Amino acid sequence: MSLYFGIPILLIAAVLQSTWLESVNLLGGRPDLVLLLVITWSIIRGVNEGVLWGFVGGICCDLLSGGPFGLWTVVLTTVAFITGQPWVHRLGPTSIRLALMTALGTLTGHGLLLLLMALLGYPVAIGRAFSNTVSVAALLNFVLTPFSFGFLVWFHRRALPSGSFSA
Amino acid sequence: MTRRGRPWWPYILMAAALLLLTLNETGLLSPVEEALSFVISPIERGVARVVRAVGDVFQGGQEARELQELVTALQKENETLRIENIRLQEQYVAENEQLRGLLDFKNANPTFSLVGADVVARGQSAVVVGQDTNPYLGYLIINAGSRDGVAIGMPVVASGAVLVGRIARVSPHLAYVQLLNDPTSQVTALLQGSRASGLVVGREDPEKGNLLIMTEILPDETVAENEIVITSGLGGLLPQGLVLGQVESVSYQESALFQEAVVRPALDYRRLEAVVVLLDFERPPVEELEELLQEP
Repeated sequence: MSLYFGIPILLIAAVLQSTWLESVNLLGGRPDLVLLLVITWSIIRGVNEGVLWGFVGGICCDLLSGGPFGLWTVVLTTVAFITGQPWVHRLGPTSIRLALMTALGTLTGHGLLLLLMALLGYPVAIGRAFSNTVSVAALLNFVLTPFSFGFLVWFHRRALPSGSFSA
Repeated sequence: MTRRGRPWWPYILMAAALLLLTLNETGLLSPVEEALSFVISPIERGVARVVRAVGDVFQGGQEARELQELVTALQKENETLRIENIRLQEQYVAENEQLRGLLDFKNANPTFSLVGADVVARGQSAVVVGQDTNPYLGYLIINAGSRDGVAIGMPVVASGAVLVGRIARVSPHLAYVQLLNDPTSQVTALLQGSRASGLVVGREDPEKGNLLIMTEILPDETVAENEIVITSGLGGLLPQGLVLGQVESVSYQESALFQEAVVRPALDYRRLEAVVVLLDFERPPVEELEELLQEP
């Protein structure tokens, strides 16, 4: 059931990331809309649905990237796998979990993206990326978390019980 | 399909993601990518149109819009004139020098049979619909694809004769342009005035972001600031004379073998809205030359 709205949401988020957010320059960086939605959904619905959203969102991002196909898919499924783990629910109130997981998910996502790019032969300046792009993205994602959470909780209440995959 | 019932599901998806990345390297994914991009490209184009329209609305009232239009028109005219000026300089001043050189060459070799040739370009215009979702890549997405004849490696120009980059990936309706300032981009280049040759590459700078750098300029060459940098056409991958930018600063260290120049791009790549893909241009017979060189 969650994929009925998951696919269009992730598709539109990826397209907005490519068309609209590219022109947005806040503190020298930009938020990661698809990454944020995947992290939030995996916190709300758990690892199974989080990874599924990561897979779909990754393919959407890969289709709008000139980089190797599958790069974003690996990154987003891995991030969803980490942030959707049951131990995350023992970290305290929802706001704390969201804040911690958004920061951890953004750092992990960008770190893995840079690592895979380096392994695939792309020249990447990891130090600069972490001091500029990643830190700003983590901050902006953190600021946007309440909005993505509110938006996805609304859908969560209308979807089948947690863990359902039937589309 | 619950988490308790099937805990292996996330692992399968993660393995599938890794498989996608591996298959991409082998090129087996192209048909799948093409099929999926068939779905995403109309959405991308539609959203890009809406985003642009909404952006226009927020720009202000009628008067502001008229002024904006006037400024845009003047900027375009200025840009066109500037580029036309560069082209004319290239075409007449540099060409004159080259023709004189050729004439000298012909006079020195009266038995040679020579024929003059020009580069002929044919273009496919396209609109920029988006940027790369990967913040570490300098790519543009344009709304022309393999169905329009676009293929990997084709040069992409804007504002007449300014080289923007080359096609790096293509789907039926979209193409991905690797910008000149992408860290993996390399273009053989020439300084218009001094005719010094070099290689224009993209390079990440800790403070200024992605820069254009002209490297491999011989130490004895004189490089002036504001000198125009153009494509040299060496290798036959690009036509000669496309504008890349202007020299901003030059550096040379005694220990280094070559000089380096920071090049100010002729255009702001992030503000591009329309480009032209050069589908075909007359190339030098590189293959024949290679065959000749391989002959004992």
